[in-house]
Amino acid sequence: MNSKVLLIAFREFKSTAMTKGFLIGAFLVPAIAIAVIPLIILLMMNADAPVVHGELAVQDKTGSVIPYLRDELSQDAMIDRRKKEVEKVKAVTDQALGSMSEMNSDLVSSAVDQAIEQSTDDLPMIRVRQLDQGVDLVVEKEPLKDSLPKEIEKGRIGLAVIDADAVMRAEGEERFGGFSLFVRPKLDDRVIKEMRSGIRDAIRTARYKANGYEAEEIAALTSIRGEQTQEVTDTGDRRSSQELTAMLPFAFMLLMMISVMVGGQYLLTSTIEEKSSRVVEVVLSAVSPMQLMTGKIIGQMCVGMTLLFIYSGLGMGALSAFALSQVVEPVTLIYLFVFFVLAYFMIASLMAAVGAAVNDIREAQSLQTPIILLVMLPYILWMPISRDPNSMLATVLSFVPPVSPFVMMMRITSTEPPHFWQILVSILVGVVGVYLSVRLAAKVFRVGLLMFGKPPNIRTLIRWIRMA
Amino acid sequence: MTDAIVIEQARKAFGKKVAVHGFDLRVPQGTMYGFIGPNGAGKTTTIRMVMSIIFPDSGRVEVLGRKSAVESKDRIGYLPEERGVYKKMKVGAFLTHIARLKGVDGAAARARVHQWLERVDLGDVIKKRCEELSKGMQQKVQFIASVVHEPELLILDEPFSGLDPVNMRLLRDLIAEQHAQGTTVIFSTHVMHQAQMLCDHIVMINDGKKVLDATLSEIRSRFDPNTIMLEPMNIETETLELERVDGIEKVQRVEGQRLEVSIAPGTDATKMIAKIAQAVPVARIELRRPTLEDVFIKIVEGSSVHPGAEGATRSEGRADGSTGLDEQSELMEETTEGVK
Repeated sequence: MNSKVLLIAFREFKSTAMTKGFLIGAFLVPAIAIAVIPLIILLMMNADAPVVHGELAVQDKTGSVIPYLRDELSQDAMIDRRKKEVEKVKAVTDQALGSMSEMNSDLVSSAVDQAIEQSTDDLPMIRVRQLDQGVDLVVEKEPLKDSLPKEIEKGRIGLAVIDADAVMRAEGEERFGGFSLFVRPKLDDRVIKEMRSGIRDAIRTARYKANGYEAEEIAALTSIRGEQTQEVTDTGDRRSSQELTAMLPFAFMLLMMISVMVGGQYLLTSTIEEKSSRVVEVVLSAVSPMQLMTGKIIGQMCVGMTLLFIYSGLGMGALSAFALSQVVEPVTLIYLFVFFVLAYFMIASLMAAVGAAVNDIREAQSLQTPIILLVMLPYILWMPISRDPNSMLATVLSFVPPVSPFVMMMRITSTEPPHFWQILVSILVGVVGVYLSVRLAAKVFRVGLLMFGKPPNIRTLIRWIRMA
Repeated sequence: MTDAIVIEQARKAFGKKVAVHGFDLRVPQGTMYGFIGPNGAGKTTTIRMVMSIIFPDSGRVEVLGRKSAVESKDRIGYLPEERGVYKKMKVGAFLTHIARLKGVDGAAARARVHQWLERVDLGDVIKKRCEELSKGMQQKVQFIASVVHEPELLILDEPFSGLDPVNMRLLRDLIAEQHAQGTTVIFSTHVMHQAQMLCDHIVMINDGKKVLDATLSEIRSRFDPNTIMLEPMNIETETLELERVDGIEKVQRVEGQRLEVSIAPGTDATKMIAKIAQAVPVARIELRRPTLEDVFIKIVEGSSVHPGAEGATRSEGRADGSTGLDEQSELMEETTEGVK
């Protein structure tokens, strides 16, 4: 390639990407976001929070719940409950990941173990103290008040009143009674949760016993093992894919769109700047308009690609952190870059033409709108395409430039990637699109750069194209 | 001597407006040519055609022996009329970038930029952004951009506009120096005496046509002097005396004690001086040589279209926005003022 083109490309890249604004936008913002997320998680886990020791006073009007409650609030019972919760989360992620979770079930289960281990570090110690039936609740609530000195360590943290009909229905009533729980203000919400679930489970067990059932028996009766939905395909049955895989085409499309638009916008503004500062004539005395345009397009392509690298790198990093990197095949990343280049060249050459045709950024708005709408089209069509990536609409659009690269990328990352020949045809169509748009843009670019005065309308642009 | 530039019937129109009617021009190597003419005459369009920034609709432009400047861009230095810099770029980086675009390799480009900035007293701005410079400084920077690659052909479009007298002289010396080194220099200006001071050859363009193409001495001899400056002993009585002398068309009092005497065309000026000296006692008498400005005005006034009227049609043509090069946006007011 021509060294002058490279010089222009390098200047273009340097003056765009090596500025504070760009660096802040492209690196610092994601870096802060990444730095903050673990921080927030850390804060939420509140790892340093003191383990709560305290007393739960219980006025048990049924007289039968207390023993079970003592069991339920023991350390072992708490650990059991937490395990169950982690299992539930695991089931949900399984559903979301679909077939992918099979591949890394080991990783998931080890992650589950780790989660359980971590969550049992800060188990509260709750002593249950039985109150007499006749006590004055107002007096008993007194130790819970906020104004008292913080002797929370060993003091009373909660007061539960279990209704008399909580275990046995009252005469003629359809429903059972329940309980009320009074706690200290600002008590750790996890401790409150622990107490509430303890009391619930205790009442439940008491009800089973009173009716002659075993708790295990009921649990077995009510739980049904739900197998994953299976999709029947040529290559065998597989688990139905869910949320994450549906998000993947969207993520790829968006990533491409952002990179293309950022590069295109920078190209537009830098062209307008060169034209309005009149530096363009000096440059044109050294290079041809075609060299200038090519150099500028390539320079800004590197800017867009930098973004693409950063964000796809971050995305892959995030996926591998959750041991999900196999969601994206390496060849997909290659396609991403191929289709990015195709989409970028088509959009950017049009942007360069607009930039050369107008005198300032304000005039560019009206000419730029149709181009932006073109780029937004895949965004609007994401839903129908990702639901049925091989529909007539999706197939046709993946061969119509300049939306074809975006649509094809969505189809490739969907669960039903198109045949290779379709990808190949889409690339070829894209190359033709690039050729045509660059040729067209070069004509407008050449004539427009030295034209000042009234901003051109579409008719004038067509005249320029004929003229050049 | 080979020709640095050959223009053959190059014609350029913007929409319906013809900016340059086809004309022929040869600029031999090593000469210094001045393009003069009013604003909007077609100087910049001609220069842009020479630079291959725009292409003629018909005709041919040869530069440095090649079919177009595209093939010899690195051997040409160009200072456009519309000057611009990359505002956010540092002065040194900007000049180095341009030098490298012109084919000078990196290290040499940096060294030359440094040298040049020192020469024009701008050594301390190398690390400043271009936008921080004053207009005059920017102009000097742009001049450097046009010569930093040591071109064989230097084209300067209105190089002196906007400079103070000190910098104007500096620039004039620098241009003369380039010329002395053997560089072919072409510059355009509508300030006639700049051309008169620098050039050995003048091309006058008016309304897109070449109206004059001659050396300075040729011009002087072709346009007979027809004005005699005179300082009489007694201005009150002698003015009347003078008007009776045969061959004198008009006597005008200028600058207090001086008289400007116009003689009839075809009259021998030297003989007239003798006649006048006989008729009235004079303290001082001299023949006034025609300046380029005189020649220019004579040619423009002699052409069919009156410049004032032309200016008006131009501005109307501009209002519809169909043609657009900046050059056309400027009215000819300056020239009509000159006529007055």
